[in-house]
Amino acid sequence: MELNYDFMLKTMLVVLGGVPVTLKITLVSLLVAAPISFFMALVRIYEVKILKQFVKVYVSFIRGTPMILQILVVYSLMPSLLNNAVKYFGWQVNVFEVDPIIYVYIVFSINTIALLSEVFRSALLSVNEGQIEAGLSIGMSITQVYIRIIIPQAMVAALPNLCNLAVNLIKNTSLAFLMTVKDITATGKIAASYGYNYIEAYMDVFVVYLVLCTIIQLLFKFAEEHVGAFRQLKYN
Amino acid sequence: MHCFMRPFDPLFIIEVLPELMQYLWVTLTVVVGSVVFGTLLGFVLTALKLSHHRMYRMIGDGYTCVIRCTPSIILLFIVFYGLPKFCLEVFDYDINEFHKMFFVITTFTLLFAASISEVMRSAYLAIDKGQYEAAVSIGLSPFQALYRIILPQGAIVALPNFGNAFITLLKEGALAYTIGLIDLLGSGNLIIAHNYGSYALEIYIALSVIYWGMAILFEKVFLGLEDRLSRYKKTRTA
Repeated sequence: MELNYDFMLKTMLVVLGGVPVTLKITLVSLLVAAPISFFMALVRIYEVKILKQFVKVYVSFIRGTPMILQILVVYSLMPSLLNNAVKYFGWQVNVFEVDPIIYVYIVFSINTIALLSEVFRSALLSVNEGQIEAGLSIGMSITQVYIRIIIPQAMVAALPNLCNLAVNLIKNTSLAFLMTVKDITATGKIAASYGYNYIEAYMDVFVVYLVLCTIIQLLFKFAEEHVGAFRQLKYN
Repeated sequence: MHCFMRPFDPLFIIEVLPELMQYLWVTLTVVVGSVVFGTLLGFVLTALKLSHHRMYRMIGDGYTCVIRCTPSIILLFIVFYGLPKFCLEVFDYDINEFHKMFFVITTFTLLFAASISEVMRSAYLAIDKGQYEAAVSIGLSPFQALYRIILPQGAIVALPNFGNAFITLLKEGALAYTIGLIDLLGSGNLIIAHNYGSYALEIYIALSVIYWGMAILFEKVFLGLEDRLSRYKKTRTA
């Protein structure tokens, strides 16, 4: 098949310019989601009334609907919601000049919170309950037990699932182009329609995601080998 | 794009449901087609992954690895724009006029095969090797042993993960509208366009409800299936 390699090379440089945006969306979503997800995981584990039901429905909804629909719903809801808020509080902001990346952060955070809370929940449950009792019995407070005993162990158990979540999140951010944010996919798409070199541009985008996701997986593998080192003591 | 003058109309969500549901079969055809072809390709990939030849194993594992790192929408674009060009230049055959469904099912077949081959591989490995040996020792052919002994047991092991992959596929299938297939989401966008961009929120909420309902329904179906398939297992342990 005849490809325009010159174009591919030039486009590759343009597409690489989108990498920071993709990483930014991924990181912001993860950072925003982490504390809220942790709280939600605790709500599920300790079966807090009413809140538990809310978390259940929320997680079920996010897991049951396509990412693209979540984006479309938020993107058609947010501006008018924001507009009302602006009017109500009398802020001096023009809603139409809000950087669309804010909406992207919101959508991907909403999505990540739900998925991450499930990861945290299973990770926390994987730590033996006796550990909490042991910690309490030697006089630690429940917060201390969590911070010093439970969370470090749970995080190691969560690493494989976290890796999956991170890779899926990066892949999902490819839909951010729907909200006119110039991430990897968006820059590729713009380059593609310029001169109708679709396949060449998308091949570039494909390669960039492939490398990016491979690096993320390698990092997690590395983390697992190092952070998880203490686990091997048990088996030797 | 956003109509601030018109207040949110919750009733429209219910009104528009029947209209959207007319296109449910398109979405489901994509899913069923991709599952059928994807499972077939998944069998081939599983065979490659379990092969004794290093080369075959590398091809099988490499395929899954690459697909796992590719956003579905990029694969969809590559298939949609690349496949016609490839067929035209290599086989001198024009598939540009093929139905959009063809490209969508091709894409999701490729995607589904990657995840399902992992499911099948782990299910196969979960079945004790002694089962196969016992079957062959009483005179079953290797194919019979696989088909009658390994497959029924492996199916139970694979079912929960198969269900997950199925529901993921159902959701990913919503991307099909980006290349112009008129499925659930595609028809929703058509209605929005007919109304000059209004009712977008109502329609997207209606679509979310449909997808959510389908996801819950299929989850229940797979749980029921699991119960039914493992009924022999239960009597043994009980």
